[in-house]
Amino acid sequence: MKGIVFNLLEEVVTSHHGPDAWDSLLENAGLDGAYTSLGSYPDEHMGALVAAAAQTLGMTPFDVLRWYGQQAMPLLAARYPGFFMAQPSTRPFVLSVNSIIHPEVRKIYPNATCPTFDFSDAPDGALLMGYHSPRRLCALAQGFVEGAAAHYGETVVFEHQLCMHRGDEKCLCRISFSSDCSGKMSC
Amino acid sequence: MQSSTSGAEEVRRLQRRFEREHSARLAAEAIAEEGLRELYARQQQLLLLEAIAAAANQSKSVESALQFALTAVCESTGWPLGHAYLVPSEGAKRLRSTGIWHRPQAGDMRAFFNATEMTDFEWGAGLPGRVLVTSAPAWIADVTAESNFPRAHDAMKAGLKSAFAFPVLVGTDVAAVLEFFSDKASTPDQILLRLMSQIGTQLGRVIERKRAENDLLHDASHDPLTTLPNRVLFLELLARAVARNQRRPETMFAVLFIDLDRFKVVNDSLGHHAGDHLLVEVAARLSASLRQSDMVARSNAPRHGTCDTLARLGGDEFTILLDDLSDLSEAVGVADRIQKTLAAPFVVEGQEFYASASIGIASSKTGYTSADAVLRDADLAMYRAKTFGKARYEIYDQTMHEAAINRLTLETNLRKALKNEEFVLHYQPIVLLSTAEIIGFEALVRWQKPDSDLVYPGDFIDVAEDTGLILFIGMWVLREACRTMRLWQQEFPRQQPLIISINVSARQFAQQDIVQQIRQIIHETGIDPHTVKLEITESVTMDDAERTVRVLSELKELGVRFSIDDFGTGYSSFSYLHRFPVDTLKIDRSFISRMEQSGESFEIVQTIMHLSRNLGMQVVAEGTETEAHVETLRSLGCDFGQGYFFSKPLSNAAAHDLLQASTPMANAPRAKRPLATSRSAKRSAPPCAQHPVISTGVNAALSR
Repeated sequence: MKGIVFNLLEEVVTSHHGPDAWDSLLENAGLDGAYTSLGSYPDEHMGALVAAAAQTLGMTPFDVLRWYGQQAMPLLAARYPGFFMAQPSTRPFVLSVNSIIHPEVRKIYPNATCPTFDFSDAPDGALLMGYHSPRRLCALAQGFVEGAAAHYGETVVFEHQLCMHRGDEKCLCRISFSSDCSGKMSC
Repeated sequence: MQSSTSGAEEVRRLQRRFEREHSARLAAEAIAEEGLRELYARQQQLLLLEAIAAAANQSKSVESALQFALTAVCESTGWPLGHAYLVPSEGAKRLRSTGIWHRPQAGDMRAFFNATEMTDFEWGAGLPGRVLVTSAPAWIADVTAESNFPRAHDAMKAGLKSAFAFPVLVGTDVAAVLEFFSDKASTPDQILLRLMSQIGTQLGRVIERKRAENDLLHDASHDPLTTLPNRVLFLELLARAVARNQRRPETMFAVLFIDLDRFKVVNDSLGHHAGDHLLVEVAARLSASLRQSDMVARSNAPRHGTCDTLARLGGDEFTILLDDLSDLSEAVGVADRIQKTLAAPFVVEGQEFYASASIGIASSKTGYTSADAVLRDADLAMYRAKTFGKARYEIYDQTMHEAAINRLTLETNLRKALKNEEFVLHYQPIVLLSTAEIIGFEALVRWQKPDSDLVYPGDFIDVAEDTGLILFIGMWVLREACRTMRLWQQEFPRQQPLIISINVSARQFAQQDIVQQIRQIIHETGIDPHTVKLEITESVTMDDAERTVRVLSELKELGVRFSIDDFGTGYSSFSYLHRFPVDTLKIDRSFISRMEQSGESFEIVQTIMHLSRNLGMQVVAEGTETEAHVETLRSLGCDFGQGYFFSKPLSNAAAHDLLQASTPMANAPRAKRPLATSRSAKRSAPPCAQHPVISTGVNAALSR
């Protein structure tokens, strides 16, 4: 996993709970915590940190990841404003992940293993997003989508219709956008 | 308190230090990321350049290389629209759309495409014209706000904003320009433009290679001297015309086969350089003789179907394919124009020279199925035109083909005749007019066919000349005549030994070893060379007069003597005549036969007599057929006569008998009258009526 994911987590934890909280998390997880965005680190580090945070904060790992995703979005928007400015609203922003954002990531980090989402339209206009990854970070995805919606001043309803955590082969998430006209081409 | 203050101070300091380190790390990461991004971009550019270089190496055509480059650049840079122009011809100062694009899926840009494809961009005009002038890449941040962008209106409708273009260079010349458009305004990207320049260089190699290929193709199908199509290309175009004519028999074409008359004279006398010069000039005049409506000087591939093609087959042979004829008279019109245009003198290396051409015409009316056949027949017709006196045209007809077949058969039979020894010699007496005494014979070749037909030289000498068989026949005649005369000289010894006159043809005379051959024959037969007289026509002697002087002098040293045959019909240079070691002129029979009717002929004979006296030469009058001839000639002081009045040409046996009869040693009169022929009897008082034939005949004639 790329170092930036750990850096963002540190920033989110520190900004909400202070630098000592991050130190505690590292201690609890048994990690030294020297992460740089240029490096790659074992996926287990993230698992350990999330578990430690869940314990400390009295939350489920799912909620920790979701919260982290939501909170990381403004930081990403500050660091990479181009991706956000290029899209007018949440829906096209989400859709640009495969075609624009992840290719850009791979330009800088050719060895990055970014997930690929498959998108389709539900009959009622909602967006169906398939996710399949051994990391099983669907909660983080939900947090990112919700954080993006917050960036665009929108709200979304995010449902896990299928979930690897529930024994499904892959995750299928249904995303309904609040100002639901905003994302659709026909509007 | 103090310690806690300093403790808090210590914490703040550490905190600042930590934040400093943190910021430094973030900055370092940002710098590194930027570097990685740039590295990635460079790698992508290298890949693009590699891909285009590879495609440039492999592409079969300039067009496919351009298409590949447009697509690759668009995909690599994310610019959605790309288009290529080419300079329409090498060195032209404008650009024309190739119609090759890389187009985005969406958007209606038809108006912009049309505006682009319909315009020839002149030197400096618009984005491509600007690149043409500077030979360097150019960038327009916003085409809708650009003053020098004629397509601005259509570009705006198509939603295009920024543009860049770069040249494809061959050497320092712009051969093509590629332009790209984006729907976003953007500032010049120098790195990108540098990359595009390199792509332009790669594509330039394709165009350069293609041009070299085209040059090779052109060279293989064109004559380097005149730049006209050569035989290969001409036959290809003719084959197309034949095929078209087979598909659509209502269409008509004709081929003119043109051969310069007397071109060899220029080449031989003025040299090959002058000959080449003349050919180039002739090619230009022929080109100008093509049909006016679509007259095109064709150094490049012609438009097919509607125009005339002039080609040089080689040497002094040219051909013209006239396509889409409405009537054969158009072809005749072209042939007439050619004769007219060639009639004006050529100036070759300061010397004026007159040329003419023999032209053969073959047309699709004959119904051809192959180009070779058309060319063969046009060639045959040309040959006919040449035979009929040059500077004229002949239209092919079937009889020419038959004539050609006959010639071929004749050639085969002549070869057989040589092998089977079917040639015989006849001998015509040459008589001293003052005494009517036979002083010698002219040996004349005949072909005794097995079926007992006797064939005269007029029916086979031309073919023998053309095929070179004359060399073998000529040598046989020389040997046989010398051998026979040697026998007669032994059998009929005289104070002045009998002389044998033998014709030597132009081709025989032109042989390098002619002197050697004649020396050999004299040696073999043992004949006294002073009694051998070689007869050469005026044209042979004057063709290369310097060589004639040399060869005749060498033969003269052997002791051989010469007469000029058919004198008066050709063109003789008196200065050369004087230098030739010739001792006899034979006045052509045409002057003798007209001597009585035409004052002019009489005067010519008289003049020749004067000339020969002044040059110290003897004169033999050929075609002496009547008493009146003999009388006139004698009064003019002519030394010798030869003709039917005295005797027709005789077989070996008959000539032998005549010699026996006319020799004073021979006592017994003979019953056989070798000179009695119905032909000579009709023409004149029968000279053979009395005995001995010759001397009495002549005496009788002289006594009147």
